[in-house]
Amino acid sequence: MGLLFRLLVGLAVAICVGFGASYYALTDGRLFAAVRVGPWAAWPDVGQPMPDPYTRAYLARSGSLQLGYAEGIQFTAFTDDSGDPLDAHCSYRVTGFVPGASFWTLVATDLRGVSIAASPNLPALHSERVARTGEGALVATISASLAPGNWLEIEGDGAFKLLLTLYDAVVFSGGNTTIEDMPSIEKVACP
Amino acid sequence: MSRLLFWIAGGFVLGGLIHLVVILTLPGAATRDIWNRFEDIAPLETLVVLDDIAPGEPNPLGLDPELLYGVCRLELGDGPGVVNGQLPLAFWSVAVFNAKGHVIYATTNRSGSGQLLDMGIFNPAQTRLLAEQRFEIDEGLLIVEAGGNDVAVVVRLAPPHRAMRERYREALAGLSCATIR
Repeated sequence: MGLLFRLLVGLAVAICVGFGASYYALTDGRLFAAVRVGPWAAWPDVGQPMPDPYTRAYLARSGSLQLGYAEGIQFTAFTDDSGDPLDAHCSYRVTGFVPGASFWTLVATDLRGVSIAASPNLPALHSERVARTGEGALVATISASLAPGNWLEIEGDGAFKLLLTLYDAVVFSGGNTTIEDMPSIEKVACP
Repeated sequence: MSRLLFWIAGGFVLGGLIHLVVILTLPGAATRDIWNRFEDIAPLETLVVLDDIAPGEPNPLGLDPELLYGVCRLELGDGPGVVNGQLPLAFWSVAVFNAKGHVIYATTNRSGSGQLLDMGIFNPAQTRLLAEQRFEIDEGLLIVEAGGNDVAVVVRLAPPHRAMRERYREALAGLSCATIR
């Protein structure tokens, strides 16, 4: 009986560690191949001709159309700055400087990647169509309720994520492969 | 108690092995990776512009709703691939994928070609002929060396305003994507 119990415990630990670590590596992944800047995470090697094994597995699992290394990089945020999951019922303010890029977009989707924009005519905010502060920073509101300034209207309920995609990012053309500052995501109100 | 700890430690070791096996075998076992999707959506030697993804619609490719996407596949065993045409004055990029779904080459309009996209894609044998100057190519042609015969080309184009979207879609659809036989 004792041997059987210890065997079952060992197997349970093995399954939890094996599959749990794999799931974590291919979702959050910050200990493996993803980079993090505040609440934003990106997989910088997805556009490489020979990505590392974790990035290869991530690509196979996601099946999405990744950007080539020279094309840009996509950051994803599942939480606000305080670490709380983004909730479509709440209002969020995205503030700060977007790293240099020829073009960038800010999209809100549910956790399956389905856009939760309220209007097909405004599915995202992008660099050609936002007002900036005098210093050039971005101040945008992501919410279901009306907001002044740059406003991405969303609908639905439950958790969502923000995708900030930098096309032709300067970070790659300048030889500097680090991004230190990303816009902050602050919860403004939550009914 | 020490026996139980021994079995738990063994469980961690076995878990580590399971983790490595999962990570290393997943790419080969995946049936919904990007190359399988290319085979569904991208015909050979015809560039198609993907439909817009409206809010609420599934988006398995993770397309950016502000961009337009043109995709095609090429079989380089039939001859060197050529993707060329004129694009509007806006951000655009082009990426070449191999059959593993990895990007083997990518560039943007900022690389110096401006509105003109003129790219040749060659397999290793064709690259050798190119080096021996057996092919005559135009000056300024972007040369991409592919490791195999199966490649897919994705062109992204960013209309600055929604009102320009249809005009940009037509320009993207006007790109040529074919092999030279």
